[in-house]
Amino acid sequence: MSDSTDDTMGSDDVYELDELLGAYALDAVDDFDRDRVEDYLRINPRAAAEVQEHREVASMLAFTGMSAPEGVWSRIMDQIDAEAPDPGPELAKIFAFPPAPSSGSVTATIAVPQRTDRTQQRAPRSSWLLGAAAAIVLVVAGVAVVGARSSTVDDPIDVAYATAASAPDSLSAELVSESSSFRAAGVVDAGGQGFMDGADLPRLDADMTYQLWGVLSSTGDVVSIGILGDEPGLETFTVDGDVSALAITIERAPGVVSDGNPVGAYVGDLV
Amino acid sequence: MSSDQADSTEESDVRQEFSDSSDSSLVVSIARFRQDALAEAYRRHAGAVFGLAKRLLSDDARAEEIVQEVFLRLWNEPNRFDPDRGTLRSFLLANAHGRAVDLIRADVSRRRREEREALQTAGAGYDVAREVWDLTLASHVRTALDQLSGAERTAVELAYFGGLSYREVAKRLGEAEGTIKSRIRSGLKKLKVELSSSGVMIGSEGQ
Repeated sequence: MSDSTDDTMGSDDVYELDELLGAYALDAVDDFDRDRVEDYLRINPRAAAEVQEHREVASMLAFTGMSAPEGVWSRIMDQIDAEAPDPGPELAKIFAFPPAPSSGSVTATIAVPQRTDRTQQRAPRSSWLLGAAAAIVLVVAGVAVVGARSSTVDDPIDVAYATAASAPDSLSAELVSESSSFRAAGVVDAGGQGFMDGADLPRLDADMTYQLWGVLSSTGDVVSIGILGDEPGLETFTVDGDVSALAITIERAPGVVSDGNPVGAYVGDLV
Repeated sequence: MSSDQADSTEESDVRQEFSDSSDSSLVVSIARFRQDALAEAYRRHAGAVFGLAKRLLSDDARAEEIVQEVFLRLWNEPNRFDPDRGTLRSFLLANAHGRAVDLIRADVSRRRREEREALQTAGAGYDVAREVWDLTLASHVRTALDQLSGAERTAVELAYFGGLSYREVAKRLGEAEGTIKSRIRSGLKKLKVELSSSGVMIGSEGQ
């Protein structure tokens, strides 16, 4: 056997634990054996994969063709609603943007998840989501989120933002919530340098984050541009010139991937 | 269009939206607080979860409690599901099975259960397309089970559907513990081979 596990365990132990994998997958072990197997699985990916295979097989044995029990769904909904915390800051689903002085403007949307928090002890999102999100970001834009900034006249980022905002060939967008309570401003200059001023957005719980999205003019796809954090300031990003609209959503930190149904209702129309 | 009609159309659109989603996408949406995504996951898998729990417990009320627990846990902790490690269906069923076994072992009297129900055909209200597929699957499962030795099949069934530990299975059958755990493992491996060769995907994402 070539498992590295052999380096730390005797071959008899490995054999015995391997033999237990089927029983473990079916919950047919006592607490003592369960602990031993779980220690083993942590250091042996091959054994972990075998357990998962056994569970897939078991899931097929479990087929009964039964219907979902009546009444349970409504009880689930009742409990979810009862446990739902207060909703987070109200943000609009649709944002309207005044036209830029000379070259048109970008419309953008902000879609809000149904709730902004679920429990106070949420675990981090699985890494598979983050990996996919990163891949999408790389395709669309080089992102340089600079984090919250204090506004000073001489700050080069502030100066660059002011310059871009006043340039006739820049695109600008003002994201306004439905109730007009919250606003964020976006500017993309002719070279694709973008700025998002989210300083007026309300601070989120620490396990939530604002996420910036772009709508591709060619396909209408919504793609992640970057993470703005729970308390955005003036953030910078770059786009490759194909983004026709911007959107901001509230997501569970550290952000999510666009998955074909990215952020709810996103319609970015040029106006 | 009346507001009721508009609402109905919107709900229909939502159902359509998620009915085409993969299980992984559903979980992503659940993590983003989409109750309609949870509803779709429930529609797809609650019957199987309920069926397994009922088979183990022979008690509709307790089986329903397990269904409720399993889907609330998916709602509250969606990150526990890792699509790289298996299907959502097996994830939910493993949760349900573990919980049912806990109940069985916490209440010895529950071990005196009725004879386990045989694989059943689809019930009323079950999705037609899925029913066809599931019935095909049931046929494959029965064929695969037939490939096991009687001793292997008994060991697997007592462990999985009986909620017994392999030690308890060994005691009940008067066999050595090592023999039983080997039979369970070899039985599961044979089932995987048979189900794979019959075209039933193992470890792929189910809709």
